[in-house]
Amino acid sequence: MQQKYLLRTFLFLSLLAFVFLLACNSSEDTEYTPVSPVSMDLTRVPYPKLSDYKFFEGTLKNLNPSYKVIPYELASGLFTDYALKKRFVWMPSGTKATYDGDGKILKFPVGTALIKTFYYDNVQPSETRQIIETRIMIKKSVNPVTLQDEWTFANYVWNDEQTEAYLDMNGSYSPISWKNENNVVKSSNYRIPSETECLMCHKSNERPIPIGPKPQNLNFSYTYTDGTKNQLAKWVEEGYLESYSDNIVSTVDWKDTSKPLETRVRSYIDANCAHCHSTNSHCDYRPMRFAFSETTNPVNLGICVAPQENIDNSLTYIITKGNSQRSVMHFRMSSVNEATRMPLLGRTIVHEEGVQLIQDWIDSLDPACN
Amino acid sequence: MKKITLSIILGITSWMTNAQNTCAAALPISAGSHVVNAVDGPTPITILCGPNTTNATLSEWYSYTPTNNYTVTITTDLAINSGKDTRFNVYTGGCAALSCVAGDDDSGVIGNGYLSTATLNMSSGTTYYIAFDNRWNASGFTFDIIEQPLVVPVISFSPQTVSLSGTYNNCVVDMNGDNLDDIVSVSTSQLQILYKNTSTAGFTSTVIPTTSVTNLPTWSIAAGDYNKDGYNDLLLGGGNGATFLQTANSGTIYNSVNYAQYIFCQRSNFTDINKDGNLDAFVCHDVDPNVYFMNNGSGILTYNQGGLGDHTEGGNYGSIWVDYDNDGDSDLFIAKCRGGSTTANINELHRNNGNGTFTNVSVAANMADPIQTWSSAWGDFDNDGDMDALVGASSSANGMHKLMRNNGNGTFSDVTAGSGYDTFSSMGIEHVAHDFNNDGFVDVFGAGNTIMINNGNMTFSPYAVTPSNGPIGDLNNDGFLDIQNGSTIYYNNPNANHWIKINLRGIQSNSNGIGARVEIYGAWGRQIRDVRSGDGFRYMSTLNTHFGIGTETQITQVIIRWPSGVVDTILNPTSNQVLTVIEGSNTLEMTDNSLGNFTMYPNPTREYIRFNTSNSDEKIKSVSIYDISGKVVKKDTASGNAVSVQDLQNGTYMIVLENEYGKKFSGKFIKN
Repeated sequence: MQQKYLLRTFLFLSLLAFVFLLACNSSEDTEYTPVSPVSMDLTRVPYPKLSDYKFFEGTLKNLNPSYKVIPYELASGLFTDYALKKRFVWMPSGTKATYDGDGKILKFPVGTALIKTFYYDNVQPSETRQIIETRIMIKKSVNPVTLQDEWTFANYVWNDEQTEAYLDMNGSYSPISWKNENNVVKSSNYRIPSETECLMCHKSNERPIPIGPKPQNLNFSYTYTDGTKNQLAKWVEEGYLESYSDNIVSTVDWKDTSKPLETRVRSYIDANCAHCHSTNSHCDYRPMRFAFSETTNPVNLGICVAPQENIDNSLTYIITKGNSQRSVMHFRMSSVNEATRMPLLGRTIVHEEGVQLIQDWIDSLDPACN
Repeated sequence: MKKITLSIILGITSWMTNAQNTCAAALPISAGSHVVNAVDGPTPITILCGPNTTNATLSEWYSYTPTNNYTVTITTDLAINSGKDTRFNVYTGGCAALSCVAGDDDSGVIGNGYLSTATLNMSSGTTYYIAFDNRWNASGFTFDIIEQPLVVPVISFSPQTVSLSGTYNNCVVDMNGDNLDDIVSVSTSQLQILYKNTSTAGFTSTVIPTTSVTNLPTWSIAAGDYNKDGYNDLLLGGGNGATFLQTANSGTIYNSVNYAQYIFCQRSNFTDINKDGNLDAFVCHDVDPNVYFMNNGSGILTYNQGGLGDHTEGGNYGSIWVDYDNDGDSDLFIAKCRGGSTTANINELHRNNGNGTFTNVSVAANMADPIQTWSSAWGDFDNDGDMDALVGASSSANGMHKLMRNNGNGTFSDVTAGSGYDTFSSMGIEHVAHDFNNDGFVDVFGAGNTIMINNGNMTFSPYAVTPSNGPIGDLNNDGFLDIQNGSTIYYNNPNANHWIKINLRGIQSNSNGIGARVEIYGAWGRQIRDVRSGDGFRYMSTLNTHFGIGTETQITQVIIRWPSGVVDTILNPTSNQVLTVIEGSNTLEMTDNSLGNFTMYPNPTREYIRFNTSNSDEKIKSVSIYDISGKVVKKDTASGNAVSVQDLQNGTYMIVLENEYGKKFSGKFIKN
């Protein structure tokens, strides 16, 4: 035991020395170009194991990003049964994304990986962190005829020992209980999606697409290990982004009460609802258009718009101004019945704070619909 | 001038009434205008008669006893109340046993449309209790009671509440083999069944624990006797897979059979896909090719995918099994829906080739429509002997409802223009075809709390009803179809029209007779039904076959064309009653004494029925004898290849012989 410890200390010190040497070298004239250890053979991905990509260094479960694997966050995220998330992006050396509009996915280069890990803290009974799954989207190619991006899904389910995650596209359940920040124990029969379920939300005209990394969702400061910086500026600095507009109409953190209520609501709805309620998406036959860029129009938000599917006769509009109890959106967000809840996928329990946000907003709206 | 006079009269009859806080202290009122100062009586409202699901905490009570039979309107839908939000329930039965009569929340049109109005027929001398509640608002308002001469509506329903403990209350079907529709309530670990009482009104509730149900019927439920034990089993369609609840021990035990395969279930059905006499199961898959479960004949279902709607992106919402080409087997129509630029939303019609294979004939049949639909209603709307379809729009994105007339040659024509559906703007996910007013023409219950009553000429007229979509069955066995909405049953108020109900008991075919074609003949010509498990989108409705026959009373014959090919013909059955038909009990070949490889003799007989066999190796497992009402009167192992019939009364009996391999054969004999 003692010996092992000594061995580890020795390794650690050697590593430190090595890094120090590198640092020294870089200041000298001999040019050194660090290379990302990430492995991305587009003919072989998805790999069978998460570790095969070398996105992370050191102990896998620490999710310590390798060189050129950059963490990022979205201003407002999708609610998935209170799971915590860490997001990273990686692009092949010498490639970068381009800006395509505030509310549009960045045009990523072929080989890009978007890496999102779902975990819980204070998991019962041991009060430890448990990582459940890591979802990766890889841009494998651009169709030469249609010029459409070809993204592929790769979902990795973590083992109980938390030492590795294995490719699994079939979907499964992972029952979990955890203590939240108010010391309340909550439970979920957490659903790990199958490939088909991934596609249901991540698609446009039935072709896979990412959802989160749009300029509108990234345009805020993030605290990196080397300081705080606007994420888009950081991406430019890292060589991951060509440029971006300096006047981006941006979503906000829905939890940020310093922001206007309506902007918080529109940000929340964009993150949680727009993937299905946008043109060319799963449910585009319904009248709502929930993308942030479209919800400045109250009709797109469903305000005073009658529902096409009658769940309950008392729910008269998608949003009944001043009356959350008569609003379909409020009802569906409060429902855990698979057939009436919204979003359709991604949650099995109620996002109480999200419901409260929507309720406060609806009840603040006037005058009433007529 | 007239208006002014009216308001003066109303003004005179209007008076301020004090709030009445309980049913017992209900203020007696008569026709006229009344003012409620505030809704503050501390009596919670838990018996909800209108289309509501949420209780209220405070209420105001009034009693009204008409002195004549009137059509009475109770309304807050008055200009003076504009902008307010009211709700009320109307009861009879006295305060100790309140029974729903009517109720309303939002039928008003003035202001924001949240005012309430209900028109109902009230009987002279009966006391009605009217309770306003604070579901939406506790502030005061004015209401009117308006008496008018009695008008009999084309269709109306009377609510009555039942107590249901389960989460999913979407199934009305017979569960204990008495052919009376029961109510099924499903939860994770139990079934609650309200068994319809045989000789009295109402139900008897039984709670049966089940082994754990992984997939709850959030998206759909279907019923059918797939293990052929005489009791219906259930198919539960959840968002991630399917679970079956299989009966054991004469319908007293339900064992869950959970399938691990990922299925985003939508409509589910039981149907005999390969016509082997055992029910298979079909499930629409929202996002992948459809799946089905083939029955091995021992009640074991094997998961299959492929061959019955294989669009890689799914889009399958509303499957319905219907014999559109009158060739004696069930074809499959799938109502489809999907956003974006895709072909997954194009409806599909799969013709059953009769040999277990299917051919997609959507385009040739003129049914390949991209309309965004979750269900279609099929019936012979024009009584010309083939099944027509109402493809119901769930969204207007790709066009509205389409009424498709069956041309009788495997194709359909769009006859929406001028049918009443061209001007019907409500959209929804449920569309079912039944004869709700027993006039002999199949109606459609779809969106907007509206029944489209068939005018008899392929046109429909909308009639507003209180119930929303829900499972349908005859829950008081009066020959008129009722509608269940959660814990409220909306009983169809009968009219003078006549009817017949036909219950099937399959022998060679599946035991429910699902897939059978039922025909009745009379002065109207012919009416037809297909026996189906699973129509509309979410609910399971009765498996009994119901016909209205209008003012006619004489049915000249009933013909049952079973999936097995057996044809039963019943001459001159009595109308306004239930007819139970056992497969093979009314075949025209009266002298046929063969039961598979066995021959029975003598026939007629006084003491014994004996059996010969052409295959001496084949043994008899059991012999069941039914009377003409379909009741089992004897079950015997036929030891010595004979069954005593000495204890039976003289008459005609149905006999079912089961061989040692589980094959069943039916015949008839006369005891004299």
